[in-house]
Amino acid sequence: MLRRPSHRQRDELRALASRQAAAAEIGRRALASDDLDAILRDAVEAAGRELRTDYASVLELTRDGRSLHVRATAGFPDDMLGGVMRADAEELSRIALDRDEPLAIGDFSAEPDFEPSAVQRELGVTSALVAPIGVRGRHFGVLGVYAREPRRYEPDDINFIRALASTIGLAAERNRHKDRVRDSEARFRELADTTPALMWMTDPDAHVTFVNEGWLRFTGRTLDEELGDTFGLSAHPDDRAELLTRWRRAFRRREELRFEYRLMHAPTGSYRWVLEVGTPRFAGGEFAGYVGTTTDIHERRSMEEALRESEAGFRDLADSAPVMIWTTDTRGLVTFVNEGWMRFTGTTLAEELGSSWALGVHPDDVEQMLDSWNASLEAREVWEYEYRLMSHTGEYRWIVDRGVPRYEGGSFVGYVGAAVDIHERILMQQQLREVYEIEHTIAETLQRSLLPERLPEIEGLRLVPRYLPAGEAIGGDWYDALERMDGRVALIVGDVVGHGLRAAATMGQLRNAFRAYGLVESSPAEVMARVNRLVMSGEDAMATVLYLVLDRETGEVTYSAAGHPPPLVLAPDGAHFLEGGRSMPIGAADPAVFREATGVVPPGSTLLLYTDGLVERRGVPLEDSLDALAEAAGEAEEDLEKLCDRLVGTVVPKLQPSDDVALLAVRPSAVNADALRLSLPAEPESLALLRRRLERFLHAAGADELESYEIMLTVCEAAGNAIEHAYGPGDASFDVEAALVAGELVASVRDRGQWRDRRGEHRGRGIKIIMGLMDDVNIESQNGGTLVTMRRRLAHARAA
Amino acid sequence: MTAPAEIAVERHGGTLVAHVTGEVDMTNAGHVRDQLLDSVPNDALGLVIDLNECRYLDSAGIEVIFDLARRLRRRRQELRIVVPPGSPLTRVLELTEVGTAAPIHQTVDAAVAG
Repeated sequence: MLRRPSHRQRDELRALASRQAAAAEIGRRALASDDLDAILRDAVEAAGRELRTDYASVLELTRDGRSLHVRATAGFPDDMLGGVMRADAEELSRIALDRDEPLAIGDFSAEPDFEPSAVQRELGVTSALVAPIGVRGRHFGVLGVYAREPRRYEPDDINFIRALASTIGLAAERNRHKDRVRDSEARFRELADTTPALMWMTDPDAHVTFVNEGWLRFTGRTLDEELGDTFGLSAHPDDRAELLTRWRRAFRRREELRFEYRLMHAPTGSYRWVLEVGTPRFAGGEFAGYVGTTTDIHERRSMEEALRESEAGFRDLADSAPVMIWTTDTRGLVTFVNEGWMRFTGTTLAEELGSSWALGVHPDDVEQMLDSWNASLEAREVWEYEYRLMSHTGEYRWIVDRGVPRYEGGSFVGYVGAAVDIHERILMQQQLREVYEIEHTIAETLQRSLLPERLPEIEGLRLVPRYLPAGEAIGGDWYDALERMDGRVALIVGDVVGHGLRAAATMGQLRNAFRAYGLVESSPAEVMARVNRLVMSGEDAMATVLYLVLDRETGEVTYSAAGHPPPLVLAPDGAHFLEGGRSMPIGAADPAVFREATGVVPPGSTLLLYTDGLVERRGVPLEDSLDALAEAAGEAEEDLEKLCDRLVGTVVPKLQPSDDVALLAVRPSAVNADALRLSLPAEPESLALLRRRLERFLHAAGADELESYEIMLTVCEAAGNAIEHAYGPGDASFDVEAALVAGELVASVRDRGQWRDRRGEHRGRGIKIIMGLMDDVNIESQNGGTLVTMRRRLAHARAA
Repeated sequence: MTAPAEIAVERHGGTLVAHVTGEVDMTNAGHVRDQLLDSVPNDALGLVIDLNECRYLDSAGIEVIFDLARRLRRRRQELRIVVPPGSPLTRVLELTEVGTAAPIHQTVDAAVAG
């Protein structure tokens, strides 16, 4: 029999469902479209409709924070749109922004402290509810609804407007961010292709993946010819071997490469001296290849060579050269700077001569630069240093300065040096890194937060999940299952409001939060409260969640539904929903009260957890959709996979869902006594559970106390290693299998990371324990993971 | 879930005896170490760790022993371990050569007597 909700509950459910749908819809549009005005228009319409008010608007704070710009309206006269008003004339908005929280006025006439604005009075506004958009310090503006009648705004109303405001805030923030990314990419490409510097990039395998226009012009080769394993191809034959040697050495050590060599210059058909500088780049701590620049230093090299021939000839040459040249005496005092130097700095020869080393050098660079110069001078070594020098315009520009000791008749007479302006090159390198970081962050967020396609295997439970994305965008639905220390199993299905990267990231965080609190806390309401506190203290996010704890032995369930549709029990005697424990969505308010309820899943039942995409349909009352779902689910005897396929295949298409659908079907199954198979999150907290399960299994297998202890310890050492390999907490899982094969206990631990060379004695001890306590240990890499298989013969194994 | 371990400290003359009850693994090893270290005042002669009631000790726990031995040695204090005969921990302590860092005794009295 299907139990029906009461009328009042139905109305509440319906209002809640409708608002959730509205908030989710705005979230989806916000992430699917770049058109902020359209999003704001949709949002004010939704606010007015759902809260049944006469007027709604979004007012944007101007940059100086002193005025409000009418960005979107519903119900207001058309000519208001686009107008600008002073922020202090809009008292309610100003207070809501100051307090950084929604403000409700049920009746202006009863609130002497608040006054409607002139426009509002003119329109007969009697009550109002306004909410700030965005976070304090970066407020975008205010979302407000206004009614001509006095109104009592309920906590649900306030939560709804808060959710809408938060969605708008994210959309505005995202637009801002998008512009920034676009700008910085464009700036980089423009810079890379218009500066005379030559640029290149490699991947982590040292293959060239990018060269800029400048490089192609210089070498006269095509992009196709340059990409791939091409390093050093255009170098002078006499320089190539050393270039490659140095490149390989630097690459191997992930060190900076710095080398001067002759590079083929296609326009003149001759070789020119260049300085190659390559630096390793890292993304999220991982080596990602090299980025490099090549600077034409031919004039400087020619200078150095000319000087070797004659001093007078040198000065003539130096003054006509387009680089900055200097010489010193044996004590390092400047004896000459060329025209090029003074053109750059705007100084005079008198200022530059003598002890002028710190002159014009950027304050942040000067100390280290002097240290480096003095050290080189003392050792009479070649000196090279990059620093910022003030140019004649007053702007600091990056230069690379290089000095070589010179000798006459075998004795040291001082240094000759030359500097090259590398300002654009440095800026470009910085920008390239930034662009790369942004791209990588996005990709990583995606990767880390995608839905767990793998559920842990839980003894005595069969779990079948289904996930149907609504469209291109990544959704924020998730499902999860975890085994608690007390032997009960927590089952979770949730739906983050909104779509896209942000929702996916929030989903990942929430999933981990539920995993963490779910292990510690036994009460679902307390788990909800804790996660809620976590969400409210951090980012703007809202989610509906069903959290249920199942006792596999008794079928007892304790659950809480935070704004989430009720789970369905397909019992042998009919279907019913678990309708208790109804609470507010996560992230809606703090403090919030979360309720929990208990129930029983009779033997032979199937439990269906799902997100509202499975039942929600525009214009159809929720209880009708719930009835339809219960009818479609039908008999519980069916194969679980088939049941899920049927629900997904028949119910979903009828709904034409505009939201993602996540479904988790759960059915208690018979316990396997002959072998142990476990999949656990790669977290240290899993070890205690693993020990309990191993103990139970080893005891059943006939191991004595000592054998049991030593085998358990060994498997846990291997598991500890798997946990330490994991990329990050909650990111991965590892599998443990144990079986008794002809009197021999065979246990394996499989992870998805690399069995790294463990540093330090500590890890060495783990391996010693594993090797010492088992008869046979085998460690192999496979499919990007590691499989450790351990065997030990038991003295009195249980007969098979 | 963090592994449960309890530590009770008592004084035997100039030597402190810490009875470790429960399980020590990577989730609580750091905490156990800090507690043990805090229990030893500067004027104590040494510390005896009694593993009679310790049900589980993995490589992270063994690392705690080595670390404590190192730290106490610097303070001129000695660390000794008590493991009863027939304890499942015995072979693990042998394999990891804990005896080289902290002498292993079979009873608390023997350990206190040195």
